[in-house]
Amino acid sequence: MQDTPSNTPRERIAKLSRALDRIVDRRIKVMEVCGTHTVSIFRQGLRSLLPASLELVSGPGCPVCVTDQAEIDAAVSLARMEGITVATYGDMIKVPGSGTSLLEERSRGMDVRVVTSADQALSLARNCRDRTVVLIAVGFETTAPATASVILDARSEGLENFLVLDLHKSVPPALKTLASDPLVKLDAFLLPGHVSVITGLTPYRFLPEEHGIACAVAGFEAEEIMIGLLETARQVKTGRLAVASLYSRAVRPEGNPAARAVIEKVFTYADAPWRGLGIIPSSGYVIREEFAQFDALKRLDIPLSAVPPPEGCLCGEVLRGLIEPPSCPLFGCECTPNHPVGPCMVSTEGSCAAFLKFHQGGDNPWED
Amino acid sequence: MGGLTIGHGAGGRLTEELISLILDRFRKTPLADREDCALLPGGLAVTIDGYTVSPLSFQGGDIGKLSVCGSANDLAVRGARPLFLALGVIAEEGFPLEDLLVYMESASLICDSMDIALVTGDSKVVPRGQADELFLTTCAIGKIEREPVLGVDNLKHGDSILVTCPPGMHGAAIAAARYGLKVHGLASDCAPLWPMVEKVLPLKGLRCMRDCTRGGLGTVLCEWAEASGLGIEIEEEKVPRDEPSLSVCELLGFDPLHMAGEGCAAVAVSAEDAEKAVAILRQHPSGEMASIIGKVTEKHPRLVGIHTISGGTRLVDKPVGELLPRIC
Repeated sequence: MQDTPSNTPRERIAKLSRALDRIVDRRIKVMEVCGTHTVSIFRQGLRSLLPASLELVSGPGCPVCVTDQAEIDAAVSLARMEGITVATYGDMIKVPGSGTSLLEERSRGMDVRVVTSADQALSLARNCRDRTVVLIAVGFETTAPATASVILDARSEGLENFLVLDLHKSVPPALKTLASDPLVKLDAFLLPGHVSVITGLTPYRFLPEEHGIACAVAGFEAEEIMIGLLETARQVKTGRLAVASLYSRAVRPEGNPAARAVIEKVFTYADAPWRGLGIIPSSGYVIREEFAQFDALKRLDIPLSAVPPPEGCLCGEVLRGLIEPPSCPLFGCECTPNHPVGPCMVSTEGSCAAFLKFHQGGDNPWED
Repeated sequence: MGGLTIGHGAGGRLTEELISLILDRFRKTPLADREDCALLPGGLAVTIDGYTVSPLSFQGGDIGKLSVCGSANDLAVRGARPLFLALGVIAEEGFPLEDLLVYMESASLICDSMDIALVTGDSKVVPRGQADELFLTTCAIGKIEREPVLGVDNLKHGDSILVTCPPGMHGAAIAAARYGLKVHGLASDCAPLWPMVEKVLPLKGLRCMRDCTRGGLGTVLCEWAEASGLGIEIEEEKVPRDEPSLSVCELLGFDPLHMAGEGCAAVAVSAEDAEKAVAILRQHPSGEMASIIGKVTEKHPRLVGIHTISGGTRLVDKPVGELLPRIC
């Protein structure tokens, strides 16, 4: 469709913003679950277009942010081992463990490579047979199928120098924990677009049905996010709660069964630690016994011992939407993107980093 | 103090910290004014830059072309005509001589196009593994052809901010090459700026120019706002768009405002002369998409804001640490 002067994105979004103003007639709290939503909302400046009574909080949808301190320590200790090449997604490299980060290990001469896909990690293993390549596999239902599929490839190729530090997590159990938390008190979830491409809508039905929480799956363009928020506000107002999909160009109600089948084949569920949320039952995708030869934890005997989070760090409260990042005493002073203390400041999708980057820490200086 | 990280070389906040630490050791040399090049007595300007780009060849250029454009552009944006070049070559043992000569040929083509004379140089070959293929360093010397001298101190409330081409094209081309993305129509903007910006020097209202290399347009604007104590507001809608590089940014999660260009300048000019400047820039092939993207304001001192296509507003900040190492 051609953009005529009366039909620009800006005008359409202004219209949606006015509609939200009309519908939201009491204070409502909406959590955007996905880190990509968080960044898109900040980058587009959408917060400046929302009614004051709509409180938008960022949830646990950034894979880096929810990775537990012990898991990061495990990745760092891997990097220090003789003969190991660590393959990691870019954001993980800066996350401080209890001691150092992967980035610091790399500057000390350890072999840490940034990859953009699980496949690249597998290629590394194919091309340097004299080293063992360990993929630090983080992420939710979006990245788990790719990890599963390289494990299957590695097995069929008989690759013995490829391992996975499997830190994959599942989103719906985390939402259950948040929905049941009496402190969090959410009216609605803006559900993640990419995760839902895989999961479909069924795994979220319990949210409206058992917890009375409105739900909308939205895409990542500014208009799509505004439409998603409008849908949640409408559900809250009318009381007709459901899991609405407004991202039908990508999300089918049944999700992607083929991707789920690959996940099922390689992983099974186990309780897993989430930063700030604690141990969540059946929320971790762990490598099945059948594929144990690719499991770095088992093969290299890496301990995952519980470590307390850095002192004063309130990433946990931020991830549950209990506080906004500037309310953390470390925010912007001890904890900055150059010298991050907690993971929400590290990842570009982390809400602390986004707050600092786009709002300079406090309120948006351009909001009147 | 710990070891240096890649982020210290990425052109953002960490680089700034590093430069401060180095300058602290040179307290007796007040010449460094933190513009793209230094002004010397006698109306001369000088700059130096190291080139470590990987891969050595990319869509739209190679390390040879880049090594001349990069340094010559640092002079050009200060209103200095590039005249002389010194070239340092560090090559890894085993690097094909034939390839070296190809890169030297493309460097010399750019020199010839601007009548820059190569006047001195140095070459070193280091044992295999002690450098990655080829590193070049160029030092360019030029003659200031603009009075009063251009610089951020000239910025005033109400001035217009222009950009000469879509931001981030070089960074996107390198990122795509590095990550094996094939994007139709994607190319670095690597080009000499002097032939284009020379034509706007006579404009009385011209305040300052910067080439938007590491850290991108966003970083240049932030540095202008911080150095001048003024605010800058830009309109996303008016920023020229290069769809191939935008698609690379979207895929890899990069902000195009933080991606490097190598033939892209930000230009600040009085509101009266802004349209004239755009018209002049557009006459040159590198400036065909030049446009006025924003203005300098007294509101929001030291901050840069962008009014987004969606109608929202947000801050523009400098990137922190490593976006993508070895882009130039």
